[in-house]
Amino acid sequence: MKLLTHNLLSSHVPGLRPGGGFPLRIEAAEVRERPVPFNAAFVSRLVPRLRWDALREAAESLGRPSELPPEPTPGYEADEEFLRRLHHVLLEVEVLEGSLQCPDSGRRFPISRGVPNLLLTEDEA
Amino acid sequence: MFLESNLYGMEHEATQLEKQHVHSVYENTAAYFSDLQTKAWPRVRNFLLEQKPGSLVVDIGCGTGKYLSVNSQVYNLGCDYCEGLVEIARKKGDEVLVCDNLNLPFRDQCFNAVISIGVIHHFSTKQRRIKAIKEMARILIPGGQIMIYVWAMEQKNRRFEKQDVFVPWNKALCSRHFSESNQSGDKAGFVHTAKGQDIHPAKLVISECSYQNNLQPETDSKHPRSMDHCLPRACCMKISEEENRFYSALGRSFRSWFFSRSLDESALRKQSDKMKHLKHEGVWANSAVPIQHSRHCSLDLGHHGALLNEQSLDDDDDVFVESLSLKKPQWSPATDAPKDLSLNGGHQNVAQSKGDKSSFINGPVEDRDCICGCNKDGAGKSDASKFFKRTSTTDSTDSALDSAVSVGDQTDAMLDPKAFMRYYHVFREGELSSLVEENVPELQILSSCYDHGNWCIIAERRGT
Repeated sequence: MKLLTHNLLSSHVPGLRPGGGFPLRIEAAEVRERPVPFNAAFVSRLVPRLRWDALREAAESLGRPSELPPEPTPGYEADEEFLRRLHHVLLEVEVLEGSLQCPDSGRRFPISRGVPNLLLTEDEA
Repeated sequence: MFLESNLYGMEHEATQLEKQHVHSVYENTAAYFSDLQTKAWPRVRNFLLEQKPGSLVVDIGCGTGKYLSVNSQVYNLGCDYCEGLVEIARKKGDEVLVCDNLNLPFRDQCFNAVISIGVIHHFSTKQRRIKAIKEMARILIPGGQIMIYVWAMEQKNRRFEKQDVFVPWNKALCSRHFSESNQSGDKAGFVHTAKGQDIHPAKLVISECSYQNNLQPETDSKHPRSMDHCLPRACCMKISEEENRFYSALGRSFRSWFFSRSLDESALRKQSDKMKHLKHEGVWANSAVPIQHSRHCSLDLGHHGALLNEQSLDDDDDVFVESLSLKKPQWSPATDAPKDLSLNGGHQNVAQSKGDKSSFINGPVEDRDCICGCNKDGAGKSDASKFFKRTSTTDSTDSALDSAVSVGDQTDAMLDPKAFMRYYHVFREGELSSLVEENVPELQILSSCYDHGNWCIIAERRGT
């Protein structure tokens, strides 16, 4: 699971307060970094889609001190250094084993072999 | 109060039906997908390729990730209910997760595009199909687009009598044999192997995939081909026109149909009725069950409603073929409960046959009147429709049934004990569009068409 994916995930355990399922807290047992070809335009276009705080939090929770600014700086589209750092955090860091915890309910969803399983049980749904 | 409990019961039944006839089938057959590939449909590919670079795109019901490598300029995420299939996608390097279409674990309005290819026809009630679409609309940004593909009830020159169907899949037919012997895609080898084997004709598979490959030239042979939910995998190889004829000739001798009841209809009956064993109701009286096996017609008819008058196709291309004259089989009525619908050679029950007459329409599907007693989704219907079971083969592959079974009383032997039945609700023309227009106001339909035996729509999330 890449951190870009994580940034899109939200718990859908029923009964949460609005927005209460995001962001999922990462508990990582195994993380790997793998190079991915850098594409500035691609990364730049992702920025408006991101929940920035959650991204920084996620990066830090993986023990990777966030090299990201508190907010995307104006003119980021042309800032290659910024984009490369963002690229790294979003696409090159993967959680292979661990779990994702719903902030409101505490419910944990497993991640195994890089695949998060966010199915609810029949009772929960 | 009664209605509420009835609806609650229906929801539970729906989940059970899907558990048995969708999820467990895919889970149990996932292992067979890994060495076979199907091509990505051009329209879907084009939709993906049209997305702007840097878009976030998700394939809901991605299976083995067939569409996740089409456009490398976008971020492709795939999800599926079936862990086994998702694993296969993962091994290919795709970014995937396991989740439920009815409860998507994504925040609101985060994707630029969503695709749902051959997925929502597995939901067994109208409400669930609506919910699935609404969930997908929820995660789309305003202006974002969704493409949905569902199996069509209307196939070339024919139509299904019912919309709720089971499609059998026989594990034995998806043998590694077929795939191993055809690693190189050598057509001759494939035929040789198949003929060389002492394979009962009934065990051969007429697959949509191979047929599709045959009729629809691969637009991009370099395109990485990945898996589909089409079974058995053996079929997903290029075979020649000649081979196709060979197999379809065989195929004609053992075709079978199974229809499911519609759960939506059930909701309108008394609770007690649902538990009554059909045997006593004589509900089969009016249901003819020609034993037919059909191949999915992989025609891309290119434009909406262009199902008719496809004279250019020869008989081999017909999805449905008039049933052979068969001895009247001894069918036993199907029971009502979803659990009895699970296949296990032995207690698979089918409807009482009225005769040998084919209940399929021959000829063009111009006649939209429901001359074969089709059921409208959600309305209370005739008893005959309810507990009827026949297989439709609108999709991909269908297992060939043992020809011996088609005559006489060997209903037990009719299906390989390892057969799995997948549930489908096939859509009529216009049904998908209406479903969206009437129930999902947040989506605006941009276009719709018929493609490879599917109804397809593209819709856009409204708002600014």
